[in-house]
Amino acid sequence: MVLQFIKLEILKSMRSTAFAKSALVAIFLAFLAVVLLSYVFLLGLVLKQVIEKGFESTDAYATLSGVLIYFFLFEFMYRYFVQKLPVIELERFLHLPIKKSTIIHFLLGRSFVSPMTLIAPLLFVPFAIQEVVPRFGTSAAWSWILCIMLTSWSLHWLMLWFKQKFEDSVTGIGVVFLILLLGAGSNYLGWFNLGDIMKPVFDWSLTSFIPVLVMFLVFLGLHRLAYTYYYNNAYLEDLTQDEDVRFVNQEFGIFNRFGLAGELANLEWKLIIRHKKSRTYLMLAGFFLLYGLIFYANPQYSTEEGFSHMFVFVGSFITGIFMLQYGQLFLSWNSANFDFFLQKRDGVEGLIKGKYLLFIATSCLCFLLSVPYVFFGWDILLIHIATFLFNMGVIMHMVIYLSLWKPKPMDLNKGAMFNYEGVGIAQFLMIIPMFLAPYVVYLPFALLVNQYVGLLALGIIGIAGILAFPYLSNLPVQRVLNNRYEISSSFRQEL
Amino acid sequence: MISVQNLKKQYKEAVVLDVESLEIPKSECFGLVGNNGAGKTTLFRIMLDLVRASSGEVFIDGQNVSKTEDWKARVGAYLDEHMLLSYLTPDEYFETLRKIYRLSEEDLKLHLENFKDLFNDEILGKKKYIRDLSKGNLKKVGIAAALMGNPEVILLDEPFENLDPSSQIRLKKLILREKERSQITFLISSHDLNHVTDICDRIVLLEKGKVIKDLKEKELMMSELDSYFTG
Repeated sequence: MVLQFIKLEILKSMRSTAFAKSALVAIFLAFLAVVLLSYVFLLGLVLKQVIEKGFESTDAYATLSGVLIYFFLFEFMYRYFVQKLPVIELERFLHLPIKKSTIIHFLLGRSFVSPMTLIAPLLFVPFAIQEVVPRFGTSAAWSWILCIMLTSWSLHWLMLWFKQKFEDSVTGIGVVFLILLLGAGSNYLGWFNLGDIMKPVFDWSLTSFIPVLVMFLVFLGLHRLAYTYYYNNAYLEDLTQDEDVRFVNQEFGIFNRFGLAGELANLEWKLIIRHKKSRTYLMLAGFFLLYGLIFYANPQYSTEEGFSHMFVFVGSFITGIFMLQYGQLFLSWNSANFDFFLQKRDGVEGLIKGKYLLFIATSCLCFLLSVPYVFFGWDILLIHIATFLFNMGVIMHMVIYLSLWKPKPMDLNKGAMFNYEGVGIAQFLMIIPMFLAPYVVYLPFALLVNQYVGLLALGIIGIAGILAFPYLSNLPVQRVLNNRYEISSSFRQEL
Repeated sequence: MISVQNLKKQYKEAVVLDVESLEIPKSECFGLVGNNGAGKTTLFRIMLDLVRASSGEVFIDGQNVSKTEDWKARVGAYLDEHMLLSYLTPDEYFETLRKIYRLSEEDLKLHLENFKDLFNDEILGKKKYIRDLSKGNLKKVGIAAALMGNPEVILLDEPFENLDPSSQIRLKKLILREKERSQITFLISSHDLNHVTDICDRIVLLEKGKVIKDLKEKELMMSELDSYFTG
């Protein structure tokens, strides 16, 4: 039976239209996973030296044990964002005469086969061999590494349960935020040192097998928890949560002044709020507003005169992040109801103009929210104004025009992290011109004259683009109308 | 009203639709029947310019559907869920359509009044997204949407499918009433021979993309179709 499941699973991934059409994306993702894992492994190999040099510590083991808890808190965070829930597969099997327990065991087991399972061993096994074995002996090393791996894997089951139960709810976000606060706050703000509190637990594992046994029981217990929860909730109605309609009824009042396009912009806003994938994009845009803190506050990028060239990139990113990310999948967002727009008079034009409106509104919002960065200097504000204008006048049209190259359908109810549905090679490659375009304009002036002239050039070209808006915004409309049959049939998954 | 000329749709070698000529006059109720794969939905999609014809043209009111867009204001259609905005509630959806068609709130109220029986209190005023509705209710929303904005032509693909028996009868009455009242041209495809012969003045039978029967005599329709389908 399990073999049959595995066979189905392989067939499914081989035959999914997404794979056939974007084998390149699949290869890229596999490549990315391998690269990331090998980075983790490399880090594991030099972990001892890093700790000794970086933390100026004479006792690498003690330092590591002291911060291990933060590693697990961090792991909790990335698992929360990245780990996928296996329930979507459930529907296909529930009605068949297969024992529920078999299905759930299979789904849980399959979720365990993931690169994330390998992170803890890859990172800590080399360290155990280099540091723990010589100092504490082989059996201590075994016990220590097992303890760590079991903790990491326990988190896997915990997360399966936690995400299914609390995702998208206030409690879930609250817990994640609390853990973030616990991790950062405890040490940084000096309330208490979490690392020191947890250190004895890991130290104990050097001398005794009891912690391993305890962790193993925790591992089994959490597996049981996840299993029981999934088993008891293996009904279709429990897999899809009802959402609160009232919460999502806000509209952008201003849009009403723009006729059909404004109406469709409001629709698009509802679409964003009511689907998981687009909501995540919106949240990410919020997070990326803080992106500037990494760069602007970093002494590494401060220069004696003017500002780092890097900041132009940061600025265009901050003021246009939502547009860049959301625009990448421009029409795919409407793949489920593209026929609706096709069948209305001027529907396609309204749809695209509506998206323009939405992009302009969100970019304005991002720009306004980024104004406080002026705290780091007036230069920053100038950069933001210039990149904002450039985004509005040039980048926006580029994003939209490029994203219309073979749009693909996607399911909006799946999460956004590592979900590359709807992303084709075109959507990947279009990122490059996005990043290069501001520099093509800015750098010649910045290097030959001075940086502020470079910004001025960005701004002027941006304004020129804005003035040409009526003409430029018609190009994508024509392009969609010319390709309407191909787009609508690929959205209906006929090809 | 609608004129189809030398229409052909081909996927590589396979010809899925091959209609030499078809004239549908104004206010006719045109029924389209045929087994699965006969090309009913494809014909409707080409008429709505959702699928490109390999050759030939469709004219609505003398306008080539693939060249202009003005005809869209006069045509209402519901073929499948792709034509709904499933992330809205039915109320929001009708409200959106109201704005798109530039109707007054009173117009919308009057329009939905017509569907009171059909909706059976299960559609309006409920806090439920369209994507969470049952298939029958989904269809009702789609049909009510297709009839909005005073269209002159309405295309419905399998309107009776998934509806419960009383809803089927109510829908039939509703279509007949609209036909009387406003001279709408209906194009209806269906597998339900009883319903379609009841309401339609003319029935065209498709087989493998070709028109093989064009029946206009109400009395003979049922027996002709019966003999074809029992084969």
